[in-house]
Amino acid sequence: MLQQTMRLLWRDWILEWRTRYALSGIVLYVLATIVLVYSALIDIQPKIWNAIFWVIILFAAISAIVKSFVQESQSRQLYYYNLVHPLALLLAKIIYNTTLLFVLSLLSWAALSLLTGNPVKETGLFVLAVFLGSMGLSIAFTFVSAISAKAQNSATLMAILGFPVIIPILLTLVKIGANALRLIRDTSISSDILILVAINLVLLSVAILLYPFLWRD
Amino acid sequence: MEKLIRQFWWKALGVIILLYVFIVGLLVPLKPGITLVAPSSAVTGQELILDIEGYNTNFDKAEDTLRIWLKMDNERSLLAKRIEVNGPRNARVAFIIPDYLPSTQRVQDFALVIDNPIDGASVRPNAVLITQDSIDPDQGNQVWINEPMTGLHERQGITFPFRNILGETIRNTYFHVSLWLAMMIIFIAAMVYSIKYLRRLESRYDYWASALTSVGLLLGGLGLLTGAIWAEYTWGKFWSWDIKQFTTLIALLIYMAYFVLRSAFPDEAQRARISAVYNIFAFIALIPLIYVLPRLTDSLHPGNGGNPALGGEDLDSTMRMVFYPAVIGWTLISSWIASLLYRASRLEEYLWDKWDEEDTI
Repeated sequence: MLQQTMRLLWRDWILEWRTRYALSGIVLYVLATIVLVYSALIDIQPKIWNAIFWVIILFAAISAIVKSFVQESQSRQLYYYNLVHPLALLLAKIIYNTTLLFVLSLLSWAALSLLTGNPVKETGLFVLAVFLGSMGLSIAFTFVSAISAKAQNSATLMAILGFPVIIPILLTLVKIGANALRLIRDTSISSDILILVAINLVLLSVAILLYPFLWRD
Repeated sequence: MEKLIRQFWWKALGVIILLYVFIVGLLVPLKPGITLVAPSSAVTGQELILDIEGYNTNFDKAEDTLRIWLKMDNERSLLAKRIEVNGPRNARVAFIIPDYLPSTQRVQDFALVIDNPIDGASVRPNAVLITQDSIDPDQGNQVWINEPMTGLHERQGITFPFRNILGETIRNTYFHVSLWLAMMIIFIAAMVYSIKYLRRLESRYDYWASALTSVGLLLGGLGLLTGAIWAEYTWGKFWSWDIKQFTTLIALLIYMAYFVLRSAFPDEAQRARISAVYNIFAFIALIPLIYVLPRLTDSLHPGNGGNPALGGEDLDSTMRMVFYPAVIGWTLISSWIASLLYRASRLEEYLWDKWDEEDTI
């Protein structure tokens, strides 16, 4: 199964690299947002910076991950169904999306810092938050996109299903982000990180448990 | 289940229990309490005159036996020198505060205790703050004339506890809190039926899961509404974006998405399977939203952000006698509604099948 996962992961990268459609589209989106926000505000306070950063990550996540199951055609799904274990497919998608989102987040962080200066005081904490956040968003959105890929207008359905689910992740992320920017001082920051890890693990185990019921159609 | 939904005893039981909850929960009086003590601060070495407003009290009937203390700690208290009663709820009392207090604090808080044979004893904590000009606990101990509280009375009859701020709204415990507990039970049942569906793939389990989820959503909405009404009286606003209000709203949105999801699939088997998967997922997502996140953030809601939760002396034995039946009553009534919805969807399925047959001919 592990081998299958690696093969699928590799295949996803190759496909992405061949077209570079998703990657360049999202990079363009991130840059456009940053430029727009910067030209509207010019002097961005750390408080607003924190909000803008997570909003950018959220929408980058949606536009990146909505493709993961929707882009696969019905016949190709059938082909996978005959060849691989369902968990290998799910795990490959989650790992691929996590990596993509993490790289995109770091890129937008760099681009934001270039234009507005870097307000992050505790880099390690912020990188950890970005990583756990991209993992949580990837797991939630990958699972939701697996559900909504079965329906007709899947993009709308994904937004309806996905937004409430990721609210706890976003609330915790904003809090950790504010800590990393030293906007607030929280002594219980380790428990926030633990909560984020716990939410990720719970979502991951639910996705692993339920995906085998979802995919055969 | 199929047999149980045709029997009526549990439905009657649910109605009777809820009638009991409404009658007893709304009609049993509150214990006497103290709603106002003015002024709330004073200095040492003076005669302190306090205006007291009671709640559900009978000061006029118990005028001769009325005793009032200012309580400093468990050993030390001062007895009122004069009591002037103006009606059943109002009294004016005079205390003599010594020049020095047996305390090392500059500002010492005192609780006000009222006792009489008719109402029993009632306490208002932190009723008066007394500021000392100079701190000298030794001299304070010398001038202190202790008049300990003895022979306190207990009120006869069934009453609910009186709590400051809450007042009469303490009765909302039987509606707000028990509605939420019933909602959790119903959502757990919906999740169990979803799991059953995924194991057996029989459409009746899907009908049960969908019926229970809609009833759970109704209970959640009512819980949010009663919570908002309670918040209007205790927090001052129906909706203050408190973390608990926010996360429960999100949790209900997750369950609303369940019905959007159902309507997106025309094929029955596919709809049943995918919505069963989502139902389990939604319940798992509900737990951190309602029970974990609010505990970590500042919140006005009891049980969160360091506030005491329900329980202990807030839920005394009289309240338990109404609260637990209320949970059972709401659960029974919502199961009844769910069974009606279930039967309606079975009928609908039957009628559509019949229509399909006639249509093809």
